[in-house]
Amino acid sequence: MSPATAPPTRDGCRVTAGSVAVAVIAVIAWEIASHLSFVIPEPLDTFLALGRDLGDPRFLAGLRETLLAALAAFVLAMLIGGPAGLGLGLSRRARVVFSPIITMLNGIPKIVLYPVLLPVFHLGYGSKIVMGLLFGLFPVLINTAAGVREIPDVYWRLARSLRATRWQTLTRILLPAIRGPLLTGVRLAVSLSLVGVVLSEFFATERGLGRIVLSAYSSGDYAGMVSTILLLIAISFALSLFLWRLERRVR
Amino acid sequence: MSSPGTGVVLDDVRVEFRSSGRDGPVVAVDGITQEIPAGGFVSVVGPSGCGKSTLLSVIAGLRAATSGSVRINGRTVTGPDRDVGVMFQEDSVLPWKNVTDNVRFPLQIARVPRAGRPRLGPGHRPGRAAARRRIAQRAQEAIDLVGLGGFERRYPAELSGGMRQRVALARTLAMRPSVLLMDEPFAALDQQTRLLLGAEVRRIWGETHQTVLFVTHDISEAILLSQQVWVMSYRPGTILDVVDVDLPADRDASVVSTPRFNALHNRIWERLRTEAMRGFAQENRFPA
Repeated sequence: MSPATAPPTRDGCRVTAGSVAVAVIAVIAWEIASHLSFVIPEPLDTFLALGRDLGDPRFLAGLRETLLAALAAFVLAMLIGGPAGLGLGLSRRARVVFSPIITMLNGIPKIVLYPVLLPVFHLGYGSKIVMGLLFGLFPVLINTAAGVREIPDVYWRLARSLRATRWQTLTRILLPAIRGPLLTGVRLAVSLSLVGVVLSEFFATERGLGRIVLSAYSSGDYAGMVSTILLLIAISFALSLFLWRLERRVR
Repeated sequence: MSSPGTGVVLDDVRVEFRSSGRDGPVVAVDGITQEIPAGGFVSVVGPSGCGKSTLLSVIAGLRAATSGSVRINGRTVTGPDRDVGVMFQEDSVLPWKNVTDNVRFPLQIARVPRAGRPRLGPGHRPGRAAARRRIAQRAQEAIDLVGLGGFERRYPAELSGGMRQRVALARTLAMRPSVLLMDEPFAALDQQTRLLLGAEVRRIWGETHQTVLFVTHDISEAILLSQQVWVMSYRPGTILDVVDVDLPADRDASVVSTPRFNALHNRIWERLRTEAMRGFAQENRFPA
């Protein structure tokens, strides 16, 4: 099984010790760097700023708005990208028709669409959720479609020979067969939805963590800025790690 | 053992494929009129590309014949039938299910069985629990029958190719089909495993008395397993020869050294050699 679930071994202890050592060295390097440039806050100041912010209702409201928007974007990405990916994987004709436009849309830097989204979806939740959706949609769609196409042909013949209904074929064969690529899509969609939301908050919004980072930068509160960035990284990393471990467990 | 109208009856079966070239449709199978009596074991041998798998798909109801008909136990085949079990050449064991769950899978799909359910008393409706018990019992019987006892909780990734085909066989047998169609089920396995599994199939057939159609390209395998061998030609696939295997019913692999086995083998090989050459020549007509 995976090393993470194995009982602690000598190797396991060494890996943990190594990780701690890397973290300690990083903090020391950070401390040294903070004395070289005034833009880089000291580690201690940064953590104090984080503590201060987490007690601030305005900060918490921003955190809440960013996370809610990212969650909504992720759910929409799943609800749209999953079925669309299924359709694309199952139908050759759909692939011929839609592949070029999907490849093109996936290729453009999505943030350039933000000025177009703003007047349509407004400054509040609307625009940033749509931006998060645009970021999260494609990994779900593309991974689902690829997963469906990789299902061995013999599974379809098995389903037919057993006279499985369409619903049984979908739930008992198709979905379990693509569980790997699907989870990869979910993991990418979670982090990319958050990226899309925060990125749009950098450009124009009223509330949210992206906005807080930007205003901390404007007012020279570098400790507040870095601590918020670190909080975002930690959230994204924790979610990815959780899903990554789930993915490994499923295989 | 067999009464008229039972078993598998093929009547002038012809299958055409639409081809992308200018040559018109490719005739894969043509003019096949044969019969497998109920409880009979027939093998089909032929060169690769002769349409033996196509013929099996037609009998399984997975592909429609262009003309002609197939009747199984008196009913004309119009589509897949749960009374006809199919075993595929490719690994079709579902990797996310353990052995038991794989074998239970078709039973759960069919939610069998309604008939023959134990009546526990007036007004008592045996519900899901009884059905589950029944499914579990049937699956376990099939697992034991193919010699997978002790491997119930293993996942396919932990099993060899031969063991996985045993799982596929158990899954097919769990439905207790009256007809068993096997499409080169052991082609991907090594020689020793093939011999072993072939002997298992014959032993199981001796116990279950199902009607079996076994497609293979291995002449020895065909003679060892079956009562009758149909020799198929290269495209269009027709039956060139029907060879009755008059070897003892309780034969084992040692029969390959007998003169009678050799005579049968030579007869089939003589028929096949020219076909194999013809197929080879045609497939290599336009080198890439």
